[in-house]
Amino acid sequence: MKLTAAAGLAGTVSLYPGRRSFASADKELQLTVEAKRIVVDGVESDAIAIGDSVPAPTLRWREGDEVVVQVTNRLSEPTSIHWHGLLIQGVMDGAPGFNGYEAIGPGETYTYRFRLRQAGTYWYHSHSGLQEQQGMYGAIVIEPAGREPVRYDRDYVVVLSDHTQQNPMTVLRNLKSQEGYYNYGKRTLIDFFRQAERDGFNAALQDRLEWGDMRMDPTDLADVTGYAFLVNGRGPEDNWTGLFEPGERIRLRFINASAMSFFDVRIPDLPMTVIAADGQFVVPVQAHEFRFGVGETYDVIVRPQEDRAFTIMAEPIDRSGYARATLAPRPGMEAEIPPLRPRAILAMSDMNHGAMGMDHGTMGHGAMNHGPSGGGHAGHASMSHGTMNHAMPMQGSSGHGAHGTPAGHAMAAPVPADGAPPVGWDQVGTLPGEKALAYADLKAFARNADNREPGQEILVRLTGIMERYIWTLNGRKFEQGEPIRVAHGERVRIRYVNETMMAHPMHLHGMFVELENGESERRPLKHVVIVPPGKEVSVLLTADEPGDWPFHCHLMYHMASGMMTRFIVEQPTAKAGGKDRA
Amino acid sequence: MRKALERGLLGVGLMLAASGASMAADGHDMLFGSLLVDQLEHGWRDGQDTVEWKAQGWIGGDVEKLYLKTEGEYVRDDTVEKAEVQLLYSRMVADFWDVQAGIRHDFRPDDPSRTYAVFGFQGLAPYVIEVDASLFVSEKGDLSARFEAEHDILITQRLIAQPKLEVSAALQEVEELGIGSGLNDIELGFRVRYEITRKFAPYIGISWSRSLGKTADFARAEGEDADSLALLAGVRFAF
Amino acid sequence: MIGFKTTAFAAALMASAFLPYAPLQAAPGHSGGHGHGSAAIGEPGKAAEASRTVTIVMGDNYYEPEQIEVSAGETIRFVVQNKGEFLHEFNIATPEMHAAHQKEMAMMFEHGMLTPTSIDREMMKMDHAKMGMSHSMKHDDPNSVLLEPGQSGELIWKFPSTGTLEFACNIPGHYETGMVGGVQFRAGAGRK
Repeated sequence: MKLTAAAGLAGTVSLYPGRRSFASADKELQLTVEAKRIVVDGVESDAIAIGDSVPAPTLRWREGDEVVVQVTNRLSEPTSIHWHGLLIQGVMDGAPGFNGYEAIGPGETYTYRFRLRQAGTYWYHSHSGLQEQQGMYGAIVIEPAGREPVRYDRDYVVVLSDHTQQNPMTVLRNLKSQEGYYNYGKRTLIDFFRQAERDGFNAALQDRLEWGDMRMDPTDLADVTGYAFLVNGRGPEDNWTGLFEPGERIRLRFINASAMSFFDVRIPDLPMTVIAADGQFVVPVQAHEFRFGVGETYDVIVRPQEDRAFTIMAEPIDRSGYARATLAPRPGMEAEIPPLRPRAILAMSDMNHGAMGMDHGTMGHGAMNHGPSGGGHAGHASMSHGTMNHAMPMQGSSGHGAHGTPAGHAMAAPVPADGAPPVGWDQVGTLPGEKALAYADLKAFARNADNREPGQEILVRLTGIMERYIWTLNGRKFEQGEPIRVAHGERVRIRYVNETMMAHPMHLHGMFVELENGESERRPLKHVVIVPPGKEVSVLLTADEPGDWPFHCHLMYHMASGMMTRFIVEQPTAKAGGKDRA
Repeated sequence: MRKALERGLLGVGLMLAASGASMAADGHDMLFGSLLVDQLEHGWRDGQDTVEWKAQGWIGGDVEKLYLKTEGEYVRDDTVEKAEVQLLYSRMVADFWDVQAGIRHDFRPDDPSRTYAVFGFQGLAPYVIEVDASLFVSEKGDLSARFEAEHDILITQRLIAQPKLEVSAALQEVEELGIGSGLNDIELGFRVRYEITRKFAPYIGISWSRSLGKTADFARAEGEDADSLALLAGVRFAF
Repeated sequence: MIGFKTTAFAAALMASAFLPYAPLQAAPGHSGGHGHGSAAIGEPGKAAEASRTVTIVMGDNYYEPEQIEVSAGETIRFVVQNKGEFLHEFNIATPEMHAAHQKEMAMMFEHGMLTPTSIDREMMKMDHAKMGMSHSMKHDDPNSVLLEPGQSGELIWKFPSTGTLEFACNIPGHYETGMVGGVQFRAGAGRK
């Protein structure tokens, strides 16, 4: 009976995908959080829905409006809704235990009220327990008060997520109980013999011993597998479809609402023009694909000219499946689903514990990691680049940028002919002649408001013990370490040093950070910054939003395992305010 | 004897019950539990066939855990040859290492039961070798030790070979338990399991054990062989 | 080779960027090969023949107005103002020509001749043969005005009697994201 209802709903909704939204005229809305059975590719499972759907309804608002959202909890456990990326008063931010906000108890209703101080693509999700993994996420689209620097004919939200049949608590317990519980892409004896044949027995053995000596696993790209990867709640079979007429400009608002999954996103035969990152406009930049961190958003424009379907393809970086959707002139059309590209294994340079892999903000996305923009700020001049990548086998892709600008073509990682996996976290497998977006390509559309030199540098070491599934910041679990404390209005640099072998999408609530990617006055504003394994990335921040903000890795099980701290921006005082702004 | 075994199993049952997870009120310090029956196997050997088990479970957080370890052996006539249960407090002291302390109780049908204090460490040595080393002090003051090491070799993602070494030693001779002083037992095992899931894997294997020195003499005196080769078939499972 | 030759195009960009009123000759040299001769897009006009002046404001990243209406064969004097913070172009051509231009522009960005906000005049003067783009520098490109932020320029254009024309900015990413306007031919009487 339940099954029929759910299946029926799925059927109905798929006729008009992406069109469920609340009218912006109604700025007061009620959202109910309750358990629900959902059907993904014909398989039913448990979920938690906001507003009776997974993903939650897209909230379409307008910049400058004051919105009121009443959230009622119909679960038997506390819940919360966090407005990811919104500049907002602390108590309205929706993270229990911070800013005086408390979780919404079972049966209770909480009224959020806030004015929208920005435009763009954002999202909302639970900040309680592991509920986000169960379906508590949805898109926010805020129309700007003024003119947008883009014109388009259609506007679709593309929410990517990872859905598991398992209870997330079971997932976390499994991760805590056995390292690599979900990793079915480990290196085997068979791989060893292949490697030995290719590189020689001694080299293969040496490689194994080096990893073994560290008690690390170079195939550890994603902690959790067994996911169904969804686009707007649809599995690859269900195939979410967005319609277009040839020649139209389509704005796709990509949101990575996954709990744990980084994706490589592309639309074969349809280049994208990236117009916004994390809700904020960037100088338009063309790319064929982008690596998509958990919590990030990208807005792109595509302009299909032909009367044919195109596949939106999102491969998780461990290639354990894919999310797929379709852009088509008519419903029911499909394009080819490209084969999954090879899964990379980590390089020793992904493990350099930050001491060597200094590539600042330019590391990160795609194949263009050797952009010209590594330097640019004081205090880092002494860092050695010379010792990087010593263990990186030459794949032909480590040639450095011959071009003087970040807009150069991709130095594509070739698909190895001999079956060897590509080595290096950033080895996406970009097709020859195509370009993967790099962080260095992002240039804020608006000039940075504050160009003061930072007064202090905050070192944030990303740390953890994979074997035990303990994740930490500066070696401390949440509430065991000292909070980070800055004065109101203070200008700071946050320097992330990733000492782990996993990439961490670092999220600061309440404020945008400026990614130091080589731009001098148009540093892109981000709310999530990917810090690749073994690398270092820095951001600048003007701490102008007083509060006690969560600061954490957005991989949900990492956060739940302790990879979080408090980022306290002190309340303004007459003295401090005067001093800092002087 | 049966009662004793039941008591042991009850402990396992309790672990099982606790092997769910619960989140503390503040939402970040969580209590977990896990139970792994590493070996439950039939052994075909020259003398008597045996059924052996080896399991461990824990409940706790990242730093502190309570461990229950049990192992034992049935012989074919359905009597328990020996059974051992350890209850340990375990504390993380390094990234890859826990130290453990607690008590061990042995049940034997023919020999006197013994209770020991246990001190040990358990963890992951370089080259991904799982190590469990314990020092035992019996109620009589006898000191003995046991060292176990094992390593998983993935043949494929699910077909996994596991060589294993177990060595035990004693400082004093304990004749009534058939234990000589010095190195007294060495056991080499090689099991190949197929992980149908991470939590359920049937396996086959081979194990060779040898008693040494005085221990071997005691064994021979009781009409047992000093060394023994067994073919194994069993199942590994977890909750 | 489809479209404009890069260096020639660069030269044209320079001309249009520096001169408030480029002395345009009536023989745009891009007629050979891309299939859209000058007849299809029209040709540079004479100031005296301009029937009216149309002011085009370029912002980030848009035109105001976004659409113009012309009569067949009409000559219009365009006053183009870049009020944005980025480099923009006002270029009258067919969609296919724009597509070809975009590739050229992208290359100029790659080689640093253009940045999102400026024209590198030194780079423009360099011997482009070294970049494998060896072409005549005498080529003129009269259908485009490329302006740095704050600059103004002029373009006098004599439209053909009909055709599919757009005015567009071919700076990488700008056309794709909608910085393009339509040219609508008035039905019925034109002059000529």
